[in-house]
Amino acid sequence: MDVVIAEDLWNDEGEGVIATWLFQNGEFVRQGAPLAEVMYEKAGMEIPAPASGHLTILIEPETPVRKGQVIARID
Amino acid sequence: MSATPRRLTIAKAMSEALGIAMEQDPTVLVLGEDIGALGGVFGTTQGLLERFGAERVRDTPISETAFIGAAVGLAAAGMRPVVELMFVDFFGVCMDAIYNLAAKQSYFSGGRVSCPMVLMTSVGGGYGDGGQHSQCLYSTFAHLPGLKVVLPSNAYDAKGLLLSAIADSNPVIFMFHKALQGMGWLGTVPGSIVHVPVETYTVPIGQAAIAKSGTDITLAGLGVTVHHALQAAVTLLQEGIDAEVLDLRTIAPLDRKALAASVGRTRRLIVIDDDYRSCGVSAEVIASACEGGVDWLAVPARITYPDVPVPYSPVLEHPLLPTAAAIVDTARRMFHRKAA
Repeated sequence: MDVVIAEDLWNDEGEGVIATWLFQNGEFVRQGAPLAEVMYEKAGMEIPAPASGHLTILIEPETPVRKGQVIARID
Repeated sequence: MSATPRRLTIAKAMSEALGIAMEQDPTVLVLGEDIGALGGVFGTTQGLLERFGAERVRDTPISETAFIGAAVGLAAAGMRPVVELMFVDFFGVCMDAIYNLAAKQSYFSGGRVSCPMVLMTSVGGGYGDGGQHSQCLYSTFAHLPGLKVVLPSNAYDAKGLLLSAIADSNPVIFMFHKALQGMGWLGTVPGSIVHVPVETYTVPIGQAAIAKSGTDITLAGLGVTVHHALQAAVTLLQEGIDAEVLDLRTIAPLDRKALAASVGRTRRLIVIDDDYRSCGVSAEVIASACEGGVDWLAVPARITYPDVPVPYSPVLEHPLLPTAAAIVDTARRMFHRKAA
């Protein structure tokens, strides 16, 4: 399953940035656990795991991201 | 069934500890620059303004002398202020309130007036922020009687140490390392992000921790250098050297007992300290170990930042910082091994 930046995470169309991954590539994560922190306009937001499974990180920290973008996969 | 890990950054763990302390004790309040709506430049006070209001979560003007002085007064009057002073580099203008007032309050009053304040501040360089935003100054504070100084290397210790610091009746300097904070733009070391229980717990001030046990050599570090040491230990193990990594956690009072126990077993010591070299924590650790009477198998060594101001250019700064590679090289020499 894709891990996506939710459309309602922030209001306008600007870019955020991945601040930190809280788990590493290949680790097992449980549904609902915060996976990453994303900074937008100096505010930090958590991205929860949409499902349980093994994490594949697609976007490295300090990379700009947009709403709707796929940042990781859970298999 | 194993519990679900709950990973937090040090920034989140500190915010959580502050929230717990403020909920439990109405005399706890937080002040500093940009700690309100922004939640702290280093994310240490996230969500507190919304939960506790502007009376207890106070943004201050850029006047360190004024708000540190105010905090010392608040503490004398029975409050438990937690103050953030963004960068340790900025303490110069308010040192009188810290080392002449706060640190001596209990002593001068015969124990009748205490000073239960916590000063939170960021330390460390490596991200090109120049000589007035990149210092550590661990020993500058650890040198002064009456001050306790702590520096967590991971989020679990950050929460537990901050709760201990707030509960302490005397001033505690709570340092947090920028490279471990979890703010992204500073490049976070993944090892600092660990499972943090939701519940309240404390990590005692004055206790070091063994981050990795080993038998052949002690690598003593603090903050980010603990992670360099852990990385070096992996390489050394491949070469047959089983290193023990000691996380000092508290700089003052130093856990000399844990240090003596570790070097008593390994009889070899490297101290890794990203503060300036001369008269630093590294010197104090080596002197303390020697005073314990160790029958050394190799002369103790230290890997530190050199005695020069921190350059702005990364090209100049990066080669000066302690690294895992430097630890491995130094250890190999102690074992008379050639470079791989």
